[in-house]
Amino acid sequence: MTTEAAKSKAPGDWPTLLKDNARTGGQGQHPVRSPERAVWQFRTGSSVRSAPILEDGILYVTSVNGVLHALDVVTGTSKWKFQAGGRVHSTPSLSENRILFGCDDGRVYALDRHAGSKLWEVPTGAEVWTSPVVRSGIVFFGGADARVYAVDAASGRTLWVEQLGGRVYSTIYAAEQQLYLGCGDGKVYCLDPSSGKTMWSTPTGNGIDSSPAQAGDLLLIGSEDFWFYAMNTTTGEVRWKYETGLGIASSPAVSGDLAVIGSKDGFLYALDTHSGRLRWKAAVGEVVTAPPVIGDGVVCIQAGGTFALDSATGKVVWRAALAGAVQSVPVLAGDAIYLASLSGEVYALR
Amino acid sequence: MDRRAFVKAGCIGSASLLMPGLDPMRRADVPPPAAPPIEVHGLPDYKPSPLGMPGLFPGRVIEVRDPNAIVRNRVSQSIVRQMLEHAMKELTEEKSAQAAWAKLVEPNDIVGIKINPSGAPACCSSPEILREIIGSVQSVGVPARNILVYDRYSYEMDIGSYQALLPPGVRIVGIQDGFVDSSGYDTNVYCAANFFGEWETRSYMANIVAQLVTKIINVPTMKDHSASGVTGCLKNLAYGTFNNVARSHRAPHSFTNPLIGLMCTVEPLRSKAVLHIMDGMRQVWHGGPLTQVQDFIDQAGILLVATDPVALDTIELEAIEEKRRERGAPSLWQHDPNSITTDNNDFYHDAAKNLFFRQPGHVAAAGKLGLGVADLKQIDHRTLSA
Repeated sequence: MTTEAAKSKAPGDWPTLLKDNARTGGQGQHPVRSPERAVWQFRTGSSVRSAPILEDGILYVTSVNGVLHALDVVTGTSKWKFQAGGRVHSTPSLSENRILFGCDDGRVYALDRHAGSKLWEVPTGAEVWTSPVVRSGIVFFGGADARVYAVDAASGRTLWVEQLGGRVYSTIYAAEQQLYLGCGDGKVYCLDPSSGKTMWSTPTGNGIDSSPAQAGDLLLIGSEDFWFYAMNTTTGEVRWKYETGLGIASSPAVSGDLAVIGSKDGFLYALDTHSGRLRWKAAVGEVVTAPPVIGDGVVCIQAGGTFALDSATGKVVWRAALAGAVQSVPVLAGDAIYLASLSGEVYALR
Repeated sequence: MDRRAFVKAGCIGSASLLMPGLDPMRRADVPPPAAPPIEVHGLPDYKPSPLGMPGLFPGRVIEVRDPNAIVRNRVSQSIVRQMLEHAMKELTEEKSAQAAWAKLVEPNDIVGIKINPSGAPACCSSPEILREIIGSVQSVGVPARNILVYDRYSYEMDIGSYQALLPPGVRIVGIQDGFVDSSGYDTNVYCAANFFGEWETRSYMANIVAQLVTKIINVPTMKDHSASGVTGCLKNLAYGTFNNVARSHRAPHSFTNPLIGLMCTVEPLRSKAVLHIMDGMRQVWHGGPLTQVQDFIDQAGILLVATDPVALDTIELEAIEEKRRERGAPSLWQHDPNSITTDNNDFYHDAAKNLFFRQPGHVAAAGKLGLGVADLKQIDHRTLSA
């Protein structure tokens, strides 16, 4: 299986959740400086629960009132918008000329990313909050109907559907030979991407809202049981786990041997991926549910506001009292940072 | 930025300028204003149900305690299952849990489960209890698609991760996405009052309550409340069903008494709310409703069940008062101007401070409106161990 999909073409591109299929928004080293000012602000007219994505100078943002906005990153003005058939909580992702996102009307939509016109839509049994992930021309996503879907990216034809034991709000991590995800039934699943069959599953102590990331041969994911897990990617065996103060809905960021995860107890935890040893923890608000991203020596997180912390020490480098978010993630694009807030504002900071 | 500030900055924005009730900086240097008249408009021609508040068992409250129900802040699924079954059988005096539930819910009902996520994640309706309620409702023949778990604010439900944690098929509904989203409300059903000169004097009932569900199972948490004294069955129903309610308090005054009780009398809310299951796994004795400070949250392992919300809230009020006495905190009934602060940080970290003169009298006032029994001597309070 090749891995051509959802690769960023230019350093500033950010075509899917946490930048690309490898989630290098959490694994690479992207330069990020302390922003000096907001260049523009765009009001979507509704809450934003998802994360923005970026390609070729266009920022794509979904708002809860069911609109996908395409914004010019230079001016902050709308190039086009598309009204879906229900509320939207899903982070969009890009694949070739298509932009994909899930909707509370139970459909996943594919639009022409230049024109905003619908190319296809695929129905499911319930709302889809996860971000569709594309690999080798196949779109993978899970939904609230407790199913995982594989859909042909070009036609929207469903290739397979796999029933799991609980709702799926965890965005799939698509490796070459495996799909990894968490599930509301409390299990972490590894599925065969060609058939959807379960290769292994490992139980945790409660349901899972967090999306996984891979670090070498470890799969990293949080659970509502308060624990952050590192599992063997081949067998699902738990290598180590780390206990936080409350449930974990955040998803991990990884850079080298450093993993960073937020917890609902209000802390960011930085752990050594080899041992699970705590390197630092830092308070960034009363509740953290969004995923962090790692830039050039800093960890960025949206909680009550937006924070950048020194990735080596956890000390706050800068903070902005804007863009409070439940699940949104900053887009770190060289000299600019793009943020979407729960209250529906999108900001460009430089 | 604390969570209260986060909510204000993130969700209200300039709307706070339009809603004077949200202004925490205004101190009362004058006597409290008199309560204005409150106009109530229920759903026209709605026929009240005999199951409506105070329901089938006025004055009866079942309390089940198990210290193992919550350990290291995790709720035990298997123990709360036993606690709920035990409580329901005792409440209804039926031999089986299924028969107990069948007294209140029928297969053709559309059942709304009104949760309280407002203190999420530190103290909110436990998903473990909700799973048991959902399973129980299904056991009498209600399909999952006809069960809705709901509250007013989507983002609070999101913080609680209810979407991910509850069984497939059940609908999870946030009535509004932001503070000023009024699209989910029925403009024909409302309470109107001008408390502090606010521009919008009406509070509308949620469509989901007015039009969609046929029964409501109310799942409040066990918390003190900075304005109303406690937030229990009555407060969770009233302020979780009607919009534009924060206007009823302007620091340090609060008109939660009598507004909470009056809202609960409005049809069809009164008729549809047939059962109240208070989640006392965690007991917040100061800082409610939003606190995340664990110093004021006891892991109590309590479940309280009743059809009478007034009787249940009376028991809750006693329990919170007792806990505050144990911890040396002033009574919820205290109205000492020196205890009032405008600093959220003071309030959240000092149990002697408060933002408002609390109104725990709202519970007894609701009793006078016929919603239940507020006299402790008349309450049939049965305490069980699991």
